[in-house]
Formats: sequence, C-alpha cells, structure tokens
Amino acid sequence: MQNPFSAKQRAKLRAFFSKPANVILVVFCVLLCMLTLYPLIVLFLETITVHAGKEARAVKLTAGDFTLYSLERIFATAKNQYSKLTFYEPLFNTLAVAVTASLISIVFGGSVAWLITRTNLKFKKFISTVFVFPYIMPAWTLATWWQTFFKNVNAGAGTSNGIMAAVFGVNMPEWFVYGFFPISMVLGLHYAPFAYILIGGILRNMDANLEEAATILKTSRVRILWRITLPIVRPALLSTFLLVFASSMSAYSVPVFLGSPVRYYVLSTKMMSLINNYPGQGYIIAGVMIIFGVAILALNQYVTGSRKSYTTVTGKAAQISLINLRKANLPIAIGLTVLLVLVAVVPLLTFALESVIIKAGDYSLSNMTLDFWIGRNLTYLDQGDSTGILLSAKVIKALGFSLLLALTCSFFAGTCGVLVGYGVVKRRGSKLATIVNNLSFFPYLMPSLAFGAIYLALSTRVPFLHGFTVLALVGSVKYLPFASRSGINAMLQLSGEIEEAAVIVGVPWPKRMLRILFPIQKSSFLSGYLLPMVSCMRELSLFVLLVPTSNTLLTTMLMQYSEKGWAQFGNAINLLIIIVVLLVNGIVNKLTGASIDKGVGG
Amino acid sequence: MKKFIALLLCALLALTAASAFAESIADICAAGEALTHDELVEKALAEEGTFIVYGNTSRIVTAAENFGALYGIAFEGSNLKDAEIYTKLSAEIEGKAKGADMVMIQDGASLQSMALDTGYLVNFVPASVKANIAEGDQNPLIHQFINKVFIWNNKGENVPAITNVWQLTEPQFKGNILFKTPDAEQVNMNFLVMLTNEEWSGKLAEAYKNLYGKEIELGEFENAGYKWIAEFLANCSFGNSDTTLAEELSQETAAGKAGLFVLSKLRSSSVYTENLTVGQYVAAEVGTIIEPFSGFMYPMYALVSSNASRPYTAMLFIEYLMTADGFKPWGKSIGAYSTNTEIAPLDNDLPLSDWKASLVMEDPEYILDNYEDVYSFVTMYLQ
Repeated sequence: MQNPFSAKQRAKLRAFFSKPANVILVVFCVLLCMLTLYPLIVLFLETITVHAGKEARAVKLTAGDFTLYSLERIFATAKNQYSKLTFYEPLFNTLAVAVTASLISIVFGGSVAWLITRTNLKFKKFISTVFVFPYIMPAWTLATWWQTFFKNVNAGAGTSNGIMAAVFGVNMPEWFVYGFFPISMVLGLHYAPFAYILIGGILRNMDANLEEAATILKTSRVRILWRITLPIVRPALLSTFLLVFASSMSAYSVPVFLGSPVRYYVLSTKMMSLINNYPGQGYIIAGVMIIFGVAILALNQYVTGSRKSYTTVTGKAAQISLINLRKANLPIAIGLTVLLVLVAVVPLLTFALESVIIKAGDYSLSNMTLDFWIGRNLTYLDQGDSTGILLSAKVIKALGFSLLLALTCSFFAGTCGVLVGYGVVKRRGSKLATIVNNLSFFPYLMPSLAFGAIYLALSTRVPFLHGFTVLALVGSVKYLPFASRSGINAMLQLSGEIEEAAVIVGVPWPKRMLRILFPIQKSSFLSGYLLPMVSCMRELSLFVLLVPTSNTLLTTMLMQYSEKGWAQFGNAINLLIIIVVLLVNGIVNKLTGASIDKGVGG
Repeated sequence: MKKFIALLLCALLALTAASAFAESIADICAAGEALTHDELVEKALAEEGTFIVYGNTSRIVTAAENFGALYGIAFEGSNLKDAEIYTKLSAEIEGKAKGADMVMIQDGASLQSMALDTGYLVNFVPASVKANIAEGDQNPLIHQFINKVFIWNNKGENVPAITNVWQLTEPQFKGNILFKTPDAEQVNMNFLVMLTNEEWSGKLAEAYKNLYGKEIELGEFENAGYKWIAEFLANCSFGNSDTTLAEELSQETAAGKAGLFVLSKLRSSSVYTENLTVGQYVAAEVGTIIEPFSGFMYPMYALVSSNASRPYTAMLFIEYLMTADGFKPWGKSIGAYSTNTEIAPLDNDLPLSDWKASLVMEDPEYILDNYEDVYSFVTMYLQ
C-alpha cells in the first residue's frame, strides 16, 4: 500500500503529534464529536421513525418505518388544539419561567454578591456559607418545601393546610402556591448562587480606583453603581442570565411539583408525559430544547467574546474600600439571615419532621415514629417498604450505587477537564483549541432531560450501552463543562515558564503534569472534580430515563416514592441525599480547599 | 480453502438446525399448560440462576418473597412503573441480555401493542387452576382486577351524595374532585377512552336524561362520553399519586370534596379511613346504583417473558399467584379481586361480579383504535 502522505507531510504530522497538547486536542475533538454530535444525529432519526405501540397503531405502519407523523403532530395539528397545547403553550411557559428565574437569580444573587464583597455587612461569613446551600441541595428540595409551607384549602387540590395557613392563618392565593410564580421563584433561588459566584468573583477582583475616583468627584452612590459598577459586571450578568436560562429550561422536578396541580405545563413535563406513548414527539421536544441550548451557547460566545478586556480589570487592584451601610447594616443583615434560614435550613427541618409523622397534618407526639428511619417489619404502614431507610438493603444499595456513580463521573469528568484545560490553554488561539473548548462546554447547554433522552435512543442502538455504563458515560459528558472550565481557568493562571523550565531539563510530560502543574493549581483542579461529584449525587433529570429501575439511584428512588405517595420514606431519603452531599462538599473543602464557588456551577 | 468452506457450511447447518430444534419460550409455555403442579415444581427446581420478577404493583415483591421462601428459590423482585417495564423488556429481549422471567403488569392496551404484538410476553394458564378462571380472563391471563371508585369525604355539612355521575360535572364540584392526572397513569386514560364508545356514551346519555329529565344537548361534542369527560375533567384537581389523593381527601379540611382513585389505598396507615365514604358501598347497602357507573376496573396481567431463563419457575410462580396463598399480599385488604373464583372476596368488600356490573371495564382493542383521538381531546382539558 502506498503511503498517502509525502515525506514532508509526515514530518509535519510527526512534529504536530509530538506535542502532548495537540494529541489531547485531537483525541478530545474526536471523542466529543462522538459523544455529543453523533447522539444528535440519532435523536434526529428517532423523530422521523415509527416506534412500536400506540405510535405504530396511529400511523398504521410497522416500527422502524419512516414517518413525518410526529413532526406533524407536534408542530401542525389543529384538531383539539393539539399542537398549541402540547407544544406552543408549554414552550411559552418554559421561556417565561426561564427568563423570570434568570432575573430573580441575578437580582438576588447579584445584590448579595455586592453586599458581601463591597460593603461592611454583618454576618458575612454565615451568609456567604449558607447562600450556596440551595444550589448544593437538589432543586426539588425548595419546591416541596414551598408546597408544604404555603399549600392551603383554597389553592390547587386544596385539601389540607400547610404551615403558613395552619400556624399563621394566612391562606396564600393559588398563583402564589402553584404555577408560574413559585416555579420561577424556586428556580431563581436555586440558581442565585450562580449569580453570586460569577458576579461576586468580578466584584471581588475589581479595581476600586474607578469607584474611588468617582467618589472624590462627588458622584452620587446610585450613579456610581449605575455608571461604573454595573457596566463592569455586565458580562458576568449576561453569562449568569444565559446559564440560569439554560438550566431552568430543562428543570423537570420543580415544574412537576409546583405546576401539575394547576395544570401548568412546561416543555420538560410535556416531554416526560409524551415519551412513553409517543416517543417520536418526546424526542422532538428534546430537540427543540437542544436548539435553544445551542443558540444560548452562540449568544454567550458572542457576549463574552470581548471578555478579555474586562478580566484585565482584575490583577493588582488596590485594597477595596468597603461601603459603610451604617444604619441599614443590621436590618439588611438580619433580613438576609432570616431569608437564608428560611430557604436553606428550614426545609431540612421540615423534611426531618415530615419523615417521622404517620398521618399527614397531625404533629402530636402520639403520631410520631422513627420507624421510617430505623423500623423493621413495618407491614402495618403498608407504604411499600418494610424496613426503615437506614436498615433497608434497597436504600443502602442505592446509596452505594449513587456514590459509586458520582465518584466515577467525577473521576472521568475531572481528569478530562484537566487535560482539556491543558490542551486548550497551550494551543490558545488555534482553531482546534476553539473547537474543543466549545465542544467541551456544549453538554452544559443540553437540557439534562433531553441529554438523557438522546442516550436512551442511543442505548437501543449500541449494545453495551446500558446499566452503569450508560449512566457513567452520560454523567461524565454532562459534567465535563464544570471540570473543563476549572481546568482552563487554572491553566490560564499558570505562566508558561514553569512548564518550559521542566521541558528544558527533559522532564517527561506525565511527570510535568503530575508533579508540577497539578500540585500548583491543586485546589482549582480539584474543584473540577468536586462539582461533577456533587451535581451527580443530586441529579435526577439526567438519569431518570436511563436508570435500569427506579431503585437504582437515591434520587430516582425518591422520585418514585413521591409518585407512589410514600411521603415519609421520601422525606427521609431526601434528607439523606442532602446530608451526603453536604458532607462530601464539606470534607473535600476541608481536606483540599477546593470549593463549589471556584467552578462555573450548574 | 474448499475444506474451510465445507466446514463453514457444516457449522451453519448445525446452527440453523439447533435453533430450529431449540424450543421457544412460547412452546415451553404451551406445553407447560398440560403439566401438573408436581411436574412444574420438579422442572422449576431443576432450573438455575436467580429468578427475576417485574411488577407494577408494590406487593409483587412480597409475593415473590413468600414464593422464594416456599420453594427455596433465589429471586429478585422489582416494583417498576409500567413504562419502565416495557423499556426494560425491549432492551433485554432485543439485546438478548438476561432479564425478567415473569412480569405482572396493568394497562391492557399497552400490553397488547407493546408486549403481545411484539411477542415479548407469553401467555400461560396453569392446569391446576384453569377450571376456576373465567374463559375471558385466560388470554392474556388476568391475575386480579383493581378498581378505582368514587369516594367522598363525609365531614362537614356539605357531604356529597352522588347517585349519578353527571352530578360531578356540576359547578359545586369545581376544583373539588381529586383524580390522578391521566397523563401520569395509563389506566386512567384508558377509562376515559372507554367512555367514548357506543355502550358507555349511550348509558351516559340515558343517565343524563334520568337526572335532569331532559335529552342531553351535545353541542360541539361527538357524544355524551366526550361531554362528560370534558365537564368532569374541568372540575378535577389533579394529583400525581393515588395514595396522596386518598390521604388528602381523608383530611377533615377536605370536607365537600370527592375523588376517583384506587379503593385499596384505603389500606394505607396514613389515611383517615373513617372520614371517607365509598360510593358503591353506600349504593349496595341501600340497593341503588350510581348511574351509570361507580368508577372503573382494570386487570392486572401475569405473563412469562419470552426471554425467561427460568421459564418453569415463572410458570410455577404464576400458578402460585393464582392460589389463595399467592394472592394473600393483595387479598388481605379491600380493592383487589382474584380471577380465581375459589378465592372469596373479603367480608367488608363486594364480590368481583358486583363490581364488574357497576364499573367501566377495559377493551384493549377499542382503546388502541381510539387512543389518539381521545388523548388529544383530553389534553385540552388538562390545561
């Protein structure tokens, strides 16, 4: 066989591949195309294929045939207003919720970020610690808490009173308890730490000279905020907006809990109800969500394209002078503390309480039991399980599986993140680096549920893709963006000289990575491992379609329990998940100094 | 080279011969119907590996436990949602991976189109109990019937007294009927589909006349079934779980409300049963009826997987489930009705025949033919 390359080309190739950064980039380019672009093609094929069951009956074709039926149903069926109710209205609701949630998290997270970094607010330590709690906790935590707190006989099914109505005698109106408003609020609060981390990062490092100069010139405080501070954080604001928008769009558990009682549907809930009977239509909705994700990526790219000119604002900033809040200090501090206790601590107490009572609504001691935690032979409860969760082999197994999955995803995502960071930064500016950089961020914008749906479609075509393998794969890919962001940021901070010095002395590449680069930026890199781990432990949407059974993971088990109405076991498991996540986060933080707020968040 | 081709041909021939001779699970089950109990036990105990059961009732796990203990068979019982079961079955059978031996599942329409048309599940009727099972319940084999019935809260001054389902469409019930969203459970949707057929829409039209003393005016609706669905759903508050609905409806604060959910949920320790009235019980007591139905009933099927690695154990388990012992996990509380006529209903419940006469039953073929239409119609009233 004749070699297709000339000697010169071969030499060039050899030189190209002698650099580890190039090898990494080529490998990841191919790998990421396979893991993100190929699945997209499969998804597209699924939307025009007949599936067995009701779909095949409706089109009177056999499974596997080509059809435009699903597309027509979703986009252009006027009978019974089908398309409008199944697609267009949920789409509108999705957009409304996503925009509102983004605004809420920016206003809330941004203000707190400003208060913490630029003022002499009291209780800073407590506030900044507890503020990221809602993000570490699963999103439905706040949703179920909202429901138990505000539900009353005048809203939704309205059969029983929550704490607000029972204790304070206040019946909140239905729009406050269910539907658009609470969904947006809960998502906004859940993602507010995003805004806090992104905006706070810039505020913290911002050169205060500009503000001080303005102060000397007797510019009013409001004007300074409006004309100087805000423009500087604008890119962060926009990034936050887009990231929260993308995350809210794919949120599934929150709209299920707070939307369905009043018939408020979003794309994610519609997709879930379609995917069993009419998979083709479900996949189309997944596709639409992905198109939005891609558009957001493009927009984010466009907006932050000029970010370099902003980040140079950081650097050797002089000491930031903190604004004195004077009389407002204590009231703001107390107000914030109370609010944070309400959204971050009270839910945990509520779960603990709800997990020990037998009949709902009766909080007397005689109605309490620890059976749901440590009981045995609980047939008298007839709630599915006969042992308390701490003694149940089923729960322990799921906990083990969840931890194993989280560790696996964190290992693969984290390691790939370090490598991608190295490759992209070393070859910064090259076309290949840009492509890999974008590809590695792309999974972030794929709505979790849609991403799960794609891999479900894929698993019917690729033989080894089921069980643990597919879960670990989908988790690693989905969380790669966190790790690659950390990796890129960490590498950007490292001066090239450090590695060059080692190259000159002839230190091989693996040793350079393990002995020099990694140790220097240990905490940043480790954050890239921590985020996937934490996210994975509390993930539902991504895995819900792929788990072999609901009992596989703690989160899917929790969802099943809540669907079955086994509230006490559900609450106990929920608390267990939160405790494990907080523990993991705390331990890693103490041991390594890595922390959530060093990453992008998600 | 020639030798190689000859060898290859021989191997191919042997393979096709082997596969032709290998008995399919369907054949094994067909032959199994002639086996006595003792023969089944003998063949089942000769099989190896873990016996795997999927079921969409939580009590299947208890039944499998009892069965495993009785015969000393290692088992794995999973309580899954029906959709999960189909997803897993198709993955296991298409991927030829080890999976379920036996499946217990509801929703006759999906069973027909997803598992029987495709051959994923195979029917088996145990010889020892065949005589006690009505012919209509034998193919596919129905293990038991479950009913979802009208139940209302009996607290306060405004206690509903429902004798005709059209009452539920009246303004006083606006938002006061608890029903699991048909989006979330297929049998609920199946019930609604059945109401649009000739029989039930006719009965609904008649019931309307009996209640209001005038002919029904259909307006834009195709028949009385559609009209009732529209007005009933417009009055519903949807929940995600029948257990939760039962708990909620049983609260003192739920006075004046009614619900349509699984009767057996009244067994839950978290339900204040004394606050609830079951419509059909009242009707039976005073010798009236709720016109034209007091809820609906759906079968729970028991079948062998075409992928079974322990087919005889699956058959033995089905035989066991059809006996009084096997039915115990369900039979101890109201709301579950064995198709084995030897198993008597509980004293505080009504017999299956009474329920069958007063409830809407499923017809898988009608449901499959009309599903899309009714589904999109129902979607309008879920918003």
